[in-house]
Amino acid sequence: MKAYLTTLVESAKRFRKPLIALAVVLALVIPLLPRNPFYQDLIIMIFFWATLATAWNLLGGFAGQISLGHAAFFGIGAYTSTILFLTFNLSPWIGMFAGAGLSMLVAFVVGFPTFRLTSHFFALATLAFGEVLRLLASYWRELTNGGVGLLIPHTPGFRNFIFDNKAAYAYVILVMLLAVLCVTYIFKKSRFGYSLFALREDQGAAESLGVNTHRAKMYALLISVFFTSIAGTFYAQYVAFIEPDIVFASHVSIQLALLSIIGGIGTVFGPLVGSLFLTPLDIFLRGWLGGVFSGLNFIVYGVILILAVMYFPLGIAGWIRKKIAGFEKAPALPKVTPADPAAGPDALTARRAVMGAPLMTVDSLSKRFGGLEAVKDLSFMVREGEILGLIGPNGAGKTTVFNLISGFIPADQGTIVFNGKDISSLKTPHCFCRECIGRTFQLVKPFGHMTVLENVMVGAFACTGHTEEARKESLAILQRIHLSHHAYTLASSLTIADRKRLELGRALATQPKLLLLDEVMAGLNPKETEDIIGIIRSISRDGVTIIMIEHVMKAVMSLSDRIVVINNGIKLVEGLPNDVVKDQRVIDAYLGGAYHATAGLK
Amino acid sequence: MGEVIIQLVINGLLLGGLYALLSIGLTLIFGVLEIVNFAHGEFLMISMYLAFLLFSFFGMDPYLSLIVILPVFFLFGYAIEKIIIKPLLNDPPLNQIFATIGLGLIFSNVALLLFKADFRTVKTPYSDVNLIFGNFFVSVPRLIAFLIAIALIAALLVYLKKTFTGKAIRALAQQRKAAMLMGIDVHRTYAIAFGIGIACVGAAGAVLLPLFFVFPTVGSLFSLIAFVIVILGGYNSLAGSLVAGLIIGLIEGFSGFFISPHLKEVVYFVLFIFILIFRPTGLFGKR
Repeated sequence: MKAYLTTLVESAKRFRKPLIALAVVLALVIPLLPRNPFYQDLIIMIFFWATLATAWNLLGGFAGQISLGHAAFFGIGAYTSTILFLTFNLSPWIGMFAGAGLSMLVAFVVGFPTFRLTSHFFALATLAFGEVLRLLASYWRELTNGGVGLLIPHTPGFRNFIFDNKAAYAYVILVMLLAVLCVTYIFKKSRFGYSLFALREDQGAAESLGVNTHRAKMYALLISVFFTSIAGTFYAQYVAFIEPDIVFASHVSIQLALLSIIGGIGTVFGPLVGSLFLTPLDIFLRGWLGGVFSGLNFIVYGVILILAVMYFPLGIAGWIRKKIAGFEKAPALPKVTPADPAAGPDALTARRAVMGAPLMTVDSLSKRFGGLEAVKDLSFMVREGEILGLIGPNGAGKTTVFNLISGFIPADQGTIVFNGKDISSLKTPHCFCRECIGRTFQLVKPFGHMTVLENVMVGAFACTGHTEEARKESLAILQRIHLSHHAYTLASSLTIADRKRLELGRALATQPKLLLLDEVMAGLNPKETEDIIGIIRSISRDGVTIIMIEHVMKAVMSLSDRIVVINNGIKLVEGLPNDVVKDQRVIDAYLGGAYHATAGLK
Repeated sequence: MGEVIIQLVINGLLLGGLYALLSIGLTLIFGVLEIVNFAHGEFLMISMYLAFLLFSFFGMDPYLSLIVILPVFFLFGYAIEKIIIKPLLNDPPLNQIFATIGLGLIFSNVALLLFKADFRTVKTPYSDVNLIFGNFFVSVPRLIAFLIAIALIAALLVYLKKTFTGKAIRALAQQRKAAMLMGIDVHRTYAIAFGIGIACVGAAGAVLLPLFFVFPTVGSLFSLIAFVIVILGGYNSLAGSLVAGLIIGLIEGFSGFFISPHLKEVVYFVLFIFILIFRPTGLFGKR
């Protein structure tokens, strides 16, 4: 059975393109089949809701920004084209794009402040926004005719976007559906799609890998809004009547989410699948039951919604994909020449001699959190090609220093010069990544719902726009960090040691000049620590400068060229490893008197 | 003009106290469980209908009905937390958001089935009574609503400050893991916090009934107000919600008079956007 399914999946994959072509042809024929207007309407509605839900999914599923206000853009689309048509006799084909333009403008203005909200409050803000537009549309009678609504007179003709034959509407909406599906499909495979997935999983980590999260969200919103808005025009032309309580209704927004969730949120075809199942149910509930018990359809939706998120969160497409993954053969990994065994101390000494000019110079950096001075007047410098160890007791401000020099928090004072350029004024972490500063996080932040390879590819996309190139680059990196065997594993199922490796690999994929490693060895056993030490050494040998925060003194001593010790936010000592560990101040503040005895250092 | 303004301030503050009670439950739930209860307004609607039924069938005064509504809503919230919220606590936000949205859809449409879309209210002997101080009016039902709201909020703050469970709730809001290590029964405490939050909105519904109409979608009207208050107050500060409630009450009074009562939601939303732009952590939120 399993072997049979595996062959089936493999052949389906091989004939993917012909299969998609077949589906498109089928979709093109379908509108012609039924003669009965009821079924024609059903087909149109399936395409229509699928278009809207696919557009919603691009923002809500891919980027994880849950909008409950998409009805607003649907309504703007419907009203703009209709008002332009009724008042100026402007063809709705043009009005459609005018509405889309207006929607995108509004989305830009509203999205700008709301994108800084966390998920729950973003949803809430968009919900409020949708409600407000509904109220405005009801209130502004001169423009919208208020609650009475607008009626589009039946004057058939292509120019008027009004047809006698329902099949014509079916083709129009089918074209819209195919367009939005194509866009989604292309995005999914591209750098942009990876950015969206990454920021959905962890915004901070995405930023550290060079993703401009704000801009990526904005693009996703604008594209999503564009399709939502033109579907609004379609609706107005098809039904020929609009009123605020229909086109601006919040349950339109909820419906889009429902279709995506049932079909498979964050998948390309999920919303379409959701529409195939739920739109007929919707028409049935409204048609047969809605007349008797108004509101019953929404009760059913509510129940489906709760059951779906509790017991079936992957949705149909997500579930199928997961099942298929079980029958898939992992693609063969290309062979990359393995890295040399870890270099001995001799090689390191030789390298030290050629160490170059200062790469980063930090001058009197300060950061205060309320009453706590986390970093006080800290200055240090790291040379090109160097490994600088940053040690100190817990709470000394080490991670704060990393956050300051990777753009995660703004400094109160002080300058950071990197590669001859003052970067103190850069605002967001992705700018620091663009300057070639990579970092890892002490508390690892894997993109849990992406595979290990995809995680690393997000980093690789900092340097290339080509998916294949990013993939090749990333596979090479996986080999280097000894994680190739997990390339197609979901990052959420990795052990802690592998997660630490992944952090390292992802940062490395951005091709940094300076790599900030925040306790990459914490929680590892001695063998795993050895392994990571070897990896770090090989990275350093390639000319990457490294600053590492570490408590594992054995690693610090064997890797560091120099060490900076900080305590209570100020620099205590700076110097060569062997001098630093003998310094009485360091022993008092951090190492403790027993260190030398246990470490066996003389 | 000066007199009008004083009158508007009186009305606004009285309304604001009620709004504070309306939103404090939402703040508490968000502060402790870190989820936004999108069915908040629908809980308010149910409580208004319950108070309405108690009045219609037993002649029970809406204010008196608090002795029924507070425990019933506490248990209601407790049960909802156990059945629906708890299994989703570690899920992605999407699942949490749509679980409570689903609840809201069910609630408002069950109400539509049972009560139709009619507007209903109760007529109490004091409904139209005003106290007159010189040139100013104070509506008696609004005054009572205000006093009850403030008393309940004060009781809640004392409870959170003084009792063990109250302290456990605050501890959970601060640091989930540390609270667990201190031996706090996390799931019981979550359910209690959710129950208290729902009891607060239930109380708000009961005291709101003599002042307003109840209809199946009344919830969405008030949830917008509650959401704006929570954000203005700083997401998880109860004291912030109290002050923000009063401010929103004042704004509603003034915008209703100077702009249009129909556009008050628009005013809220503009305010909401401005808060987001200029003070994203709210008035009392910490950075």
